[in-house]
Amino acid sequence: MTKRKRKNIIKKFFLYLFVIVLCVIILYPYFVMFTTAAKDRSEMYALNMTILPVEWKWSNFIEIWSAAPVLRYFLNSVIVAGGATLVAILCGIPAAYAMSRMQFKGKSVFLGLVIMSQMFAPVVLLVGIYKLMTTMNLVNNLIGLILLNAAFNQAFAIWLLRGTFLSISSEMEQAAKVDGCGTIGSLIRVLIPMSAPGIVTTLIFVFINSWNEYTIALTLMSTDTLKPITVGINVFYGFNMIQWQYLFATSLFATVPVIILFLCIEKHLAAGLTAGGVKG
Amino acid sequence: MKKHAIRKKAEPYLWMLPSLILMTVMIAIPIVTVFQLSLSEISRAGVIKGYNDFKNFKMIFASPTFWHTLQNTLVWTVAVVGFSTLIGFVIAMVLNQEFVGRKIVRAIVVFPWATSLIIQSVIWKYIINADYGSLNVILSKLGIIKKYINWTPDANAYFAWECWIGIFVTFPFVTFCVLSGLQSIDSTFYEAADIDGAGFWQKLRMITLPLLKPSLTVSTVLNIIYVFNSFPIIWTITKGDPADRTHTLATYLYKLSFYNGKSGQAAAVSVVGFAILCVCASVYMILSLRAEKEDQL
Repeated sequence: MTKRKRKNIIKKFFLYLFVIVLCVIILYPYFVMFTTAAKDRSEMYALNMTILPVEWKWSNFIEIWSAAPVLRYFLNSVIVAGGATLVAILCGIPAAYAMSRMQFKGKSVFLGLVIMSQMFAPVVLLVGIYKLMTTMNLVNNLIGLILLNAAFNQAFAIWLLRGTFLSISSEMEQAAKVDGCGTIGSLIRVLIPMSAPGIVTTLIFVFINSWNEYTIALTLMSTDTLKPITVGINVFYGFNMIQWQYLFATSLFATVPVIILFLCIEKHLAAGLTAGGVKG
Repeated sequence: MKKHAIRKKAEPYLWMLPSLILMTVMIAIPIVTVFQLSLSEISRAGVIKGYNDFKNFKMIFASPTFWHTLQNTLVWTVAVVGFSTLIGFVIAMVLNQEFVGRKIVRAIVVFPWATSLIIQSVIWKYIINADYGSLNVILSKLGIIKKYINWTPDANAYFAWECWIGIFVTFPFVTFCVLSGLQSIDSTFYEAADIDGAGFWQKLRMITLPLLKPSLTVSTVLNIIYVFNSFPIIWTITKGDPADRTHTLATYLYKLSFYNGKSGQAAAVSVVGFAILCVCASVYMILSLRAEKEDQL
């Protein structure tokens, strides 16, 4: 019995050791981001570098807003991510509804195509996307960015929403139809409220993906005032002078809200992604 | 009556129309354009001058940089997806244990997944800087090193760091897929195995792994696609340099198109990328069909 107890203690010890090392490694870049953001510029290239700032310079977090059009970048990110989320969900809900509640020819083909579309990441299509956007006159245009983000998130949106809809029995909707609700009525009044957690997960996931998107925005948005934050932070990254403290202060503002949002959906998201696959 | 029947038949397609239009315009048209461009002679101004007898493909196949890039892409995808899956799996097993602070650790593991790749890459670029980077500062303050180390002496070192960052941002996805899979495993399986006297490895091999197969398949398939196509990490750290030694297909085609003005060759690289992913997809389909058949036997 004591042998077993000792074995348990050793096991617990290694468990905690593992977890602590893991957390230190994961948090290390965030620690660097935070401490560097609060350093004075003169400390950046000092000979005797310190880990923590010699003097915590909180004013960096205020200066960034006037050092570059950072507010504009954030606004652009909100517009692009918000717009893309709206478009993706407005197109995704009806499609997911048809694919979870209706029988029709070509359903499995369409589902296959949706999953296939995931294989074409924006970056391998950039040459084609750039050409398309030029002909549609949407280069340097937030609407172009919104539509592209919505399209490239469509597969995930449909996947997650279809999984949610399939997990809800259609009896309630049929009852609503008997009571005189049309198809659209039963969707809006019954299915959507019942799938609220799944829909919110999808909304947040698409929002974060579009917020974090870099490649398309880098290619299409050359006008400074139209850049989203992921591209905009490059202003602090000049050829001969990098303003690390501003770069990281801005990055911190761009990161914290997203992490908080992500924490809200983490549980639903992983379950939703794998469930969509199993039920495929 | 007939009109009604037609409307009924058309209804599902009407529901899918918005989604179909969005994806056709924004994804399918660029795909077609890429194939078209890959077979065309294109002026530097971007004007298509007609079919050029696979000259773009011949040009990239003749370039040693392309073959080195292809090799890099393979190493990058296998290393990042492989290690992420392994590490992500182990961490999920640990997080599935009961311990104080589990919720906090779970939350921390989300961080790399939620952070923008570009921001994560910029931080790591600062960390590994030889002159003022945080890694040297911390290690020398702790007394582990006496002199600052040049962490990136050559292209291979840069590439190894890029792989590390790739693993760092990819493993949480595996962890959460596995965790959600673990939670759906019925605990009576383990109780029965305990009664039979099964050890840890036996339980892992006979119960956990087979039941986690769907979760692991989803995470691996998605990760292969993402990592294969990943752009921001390598672009931020090296832009494919020194001397084009750290490119993957994604950064190589970006440079060809938007730096060197060779969009025809860039499109050809894209097509090669599609081809590779298609081969992977068909291998996966064949394997899963075969597995299904075996299950039925």
